[in-house]
Amino acid sequence: MSEHGLPPKSSIKRWLVTTNHKDIGILYILTSLFFLIFGGTLALLIRLQLWTSGEFILSGSAFGQAVTAHGLVMVFFFLSPFAFGFANYIVPLQIGADDLAFPRLNALSYWLYLFAGLLFLISFFQGGSLEAGWTMYAPLNLPTYMPNPGASTVVGALLMFVASVTVSTINFVVTIHQMKADGLSLWNLPMFTWSILLTVWMMLIAFAALGAALLILGADHVLDTVYFTEVEGGSLLWAHLFWFFGHPEVYIVFFPALGVMLETFQTFTGRRLIGRKWVILAMILVTLQSFLVWMHHMFLTTINLEIKTLMMAMTIGISLPFDLIVFAMIYTLIKGRIRWTTPFLFNFGALVLFIIGGITGVFLGAIVLDYEFRGTYWVVAHFHYVMVAGGTALFGGLYYWWPKITGKMYDEYLGKMHFGAYFVGFNLLYFAMFMSWEMPRRVFTYHTGFEAYNQMATIGGFILGASFLIMFYNFYQSWYRGPVADGNPWEYSRTAEWATDSPPPLENWEGIPNYEKGFLEFVDRPEGLTDGGHGEDHHDRHPDHASIWPLTISLTTFIGLAGLMLWGEHIVYNTLFIVGLFATLVAAVGFAREDFYAPMPDWGARWPFEGIHKNKFGMWIFLASDIVIFGAFIGAYIFIRWGYGWEAWQTIPPEALPGLVNTFVLLTSSFTVILALVYAQRGNQKGLVASLIATFGLATLFLVIKSWEWNYLLPEAETLPEATIALFTFDWDPLIGTEGPALDASIQHSTYYVTTGLHAIHILIGMIALGYLAIRAYHGAYLDDEQPVENVGLYWHFVDIAWVFLFPLFYIL
Amino acid sequence: MASIKFYFAIYVALLLLAVSKVVFMELLDYWAAVGGIMLSAAVKTGLIAGFYQHLVDEPRAVTWVVLMAVAAVLLLASAATFSIT
Repeated sequence: MSEHGLPPKSSIKRWLVTTNHKDIGILYILTSLFFLIFGGTLALLIRLQLWTSGEFILSGSAFGQAVTAHGLVMVFFFLSPFAFGFANYIVPLQIGADDLAFPRLNALSYWLYLFAGLLFLISFFQGGSLEAGWTMYAPLNLPTYMPNPGASTVVGALLMFVASVTVSTINFVVTIHQMKADGLSLWNLPMFTWSILLTVWMMLIAFAALGAALLILGADHVLDTVYFTEVEGGSLLWAHLFWFFGHPEVYIVFFPALGVMLETFQTFTGRRLIGRKWVILAMILVTLQSFLVWMHHMFLTTINLEIKTLMMAMTIGISLPFDLIVFAMIYTLIKGRIRWTTPFLFNFGALVLFIIGGITGVFLGAIVLDYEFRGTYWVVAHFHYVMVAGGTALFGGLYYWWPKITGKMYDEYLGKMHFGAYFVGFNLLYFAMFMSWEMPRRVFTYHTGFEAYNQMATIGGFILGASFLIMFYNFYQSWYRGPVADGNPWEYSRTAEWATDSPPPLENWEGIPNYEKGFLEFVDRPEGLTDGGHGEDHHDRHPDHASIWPLTISLTTFIGLAGLMLWGEHIVYNTLFIVGLFATLVAAVGFAREDFYAPMPDWGARWPFEGIHKNKFGMWIFLASDIVIFGAFIGAYIFIRWGYGWEAWQTIPPEALPGLVNTFVLLTSSFTVILALVYAQRGNQKGLVASLIATFGLATLFLVIKSWEWNYLLPEAETLPEATIALFTFDWDPLIGTEGPALDASIQHSTYYVTTGLHAIHILIGMIALGYLAIRAYHGAYLDDEQPVENVGLYWHFVDIAWVFLFPLFYIL
Repeated sequence: MASIKFYFAIYVALLLLAVSKVVFMELLDYWAAVGGIMLSAAVKTGLIAGFYQHLVDEPRAVTWVVLMAVAAVLLLASAATFSIT
């Protein structure tokens, strides 16, 4: 043990248990580069296939799987995690913090991401992976139309990835708002940190919508519900849910890259960003506007002309703040004196590529032009000019922060060679796609007139891929033989990460960063305090940096999801699910019971989130995400019912009474859980334990009534398979066989059981938390710190609020 | 932190509002009942979030975060439904 309980970097164990933000950042970067190689190899296979028209090296199914996996791997498992590798490493340094607000949750995010990627890879060995493109359009995303078993596993992998993103989002929102150095205002945050802050706010809403879409898709896969096969709007429902996430996702991927561009342009021109205030305002505007344009991806569907026209206008509108940002960057370059280093070259290249990508996107925002371009390689070219422009800036970021992360300098000559090959390869590859804009996408048969362009693109693809060999060789050389880099190798860098050693010590700073005088200085840590001068009540204790539970929870979740998504396919999958589920419960209790100290600075929580503890703040951020998930489920129900005919819809429960009784039960449980908080604050142990047990009992009563109701209703559904009825009537014997459960009776049944089922799962999770609190309260906990009781209460009240809307929608109206 | 009496008063109000949903359905025509029920649900949500979850005591920005999430789902549901109208 070398660093406060953390094994040395040479030990494998360190990388399994570390919660330190720099270690996690490195893990993110390395893992994302692995997925870059995997996704890039798939891309080269696609390009080889397209060397000539028709079947060549891939079958039709293999081509479909390669295209789908390439898109999903590059967008989800490479680009964003690569950016968040930097965010993990750099943001705490830029804001003067010792670590993120929730170090264990940070490790959990990483391990969930890694295991989600592994689950994705496993799908190829299960009789075929998903074949529906990265947009996973319905009904191609359903087993009925695309029966590869691995497709269900992909849905599980993406759900796990969404869980990783949600945990990460909560962490970064709380960290950036509550752990800034004293005197560092929001307005003066470095541009990279600003870009990450806006990215995580977008992620909070967008990924919750994707999570809801994937949960419903998962139900269609595992339970055979019929959301996305519904004739009246099933496919459109997927398109709405996906693109409500998908358009902001473009900015979620691009904003961190924009942050890197803004940082490097300042560093390598020696100029402060011109119009900095306006650039920040423009980025905030883009963040808001990103949620107002999603239907421009749906111009070729049957949505009405009024909404298409509105979306076209909004799309033109979103290009305006981007114009301002681009002009601010160009003007900064003009007014500064450029140092043509490798990081600058990559970021300058990214700006050029992004301008081309942005301009060609305007064509797609116009309804009439979109009709012509939508199904062609124009879209593929535009998309890659935008997304890979982001990747280009991030590679620049890797060169920029390499000396900080490793303490070594890379070779400039090799770096410039890499850029040259990269830029030539990129444009050969993607500009050829603009040239062949009349060629239909998603298929590998094309008119022979496009062959020259396709061969040009394939050559470009291989040059682009080969350019990374230079990069990896350069970093290999640097790591083993490169010259040592000091704390600040760049003459005009202006952000705090360059004010500490390269690489920084475990807790980043010798003194405490402070901006009260308007510039960065370090004040001495108070004597006698080992926690970094933080104001919490553990002054004699050093922060913790190691925990095995994030890895354990992720591994058990991986096992459980691998089983769940193919439940009923084989007894092995059923067993995996049950084992994974119980192991995850045990691991979650281990996580909760671990005494892990991660202090917050006294001065961190300032406007607009002053005076709220980080745990409660984190819970509210989580609840905001859950609001979107439940809201998307309810929105899906309203959408489907509207398409079906609102008043022609048959409500599933024949009587409202069981629902009304359950409403009273839940409202009463909300009252008892608030009583628990009151008793905890008054130091009344008996009252606290009794209130928690009462809440637990009411939750049990709710589920008993619910199961009685399902018991009563399910056999009424004539077409339901026996296994389904068995699942919901708690007769488990038929489920041990190979028949999977199914809910294929009707769309009314699907919406009712899935939505109230989601609510019931929330109740179950709440009961686990309440049971845990009750046992610990019985042993004397929470009388001097009622926060856990309050935070579980916040969750429980939210579950009650969800029912406030579910009851009328599914029982009365 | 308010008194138990206050929380109990909120609880009673929530029960009455729950009953009101069924009453609206019995007394009003369908679409008027829909409006009444949704209004009742909104008031219940406000009482739970405001006083049981203590949003009234938290920094106002927390309320804005919650409203931002609510606005997102209202936008998604309403615009998507309008698109097929």
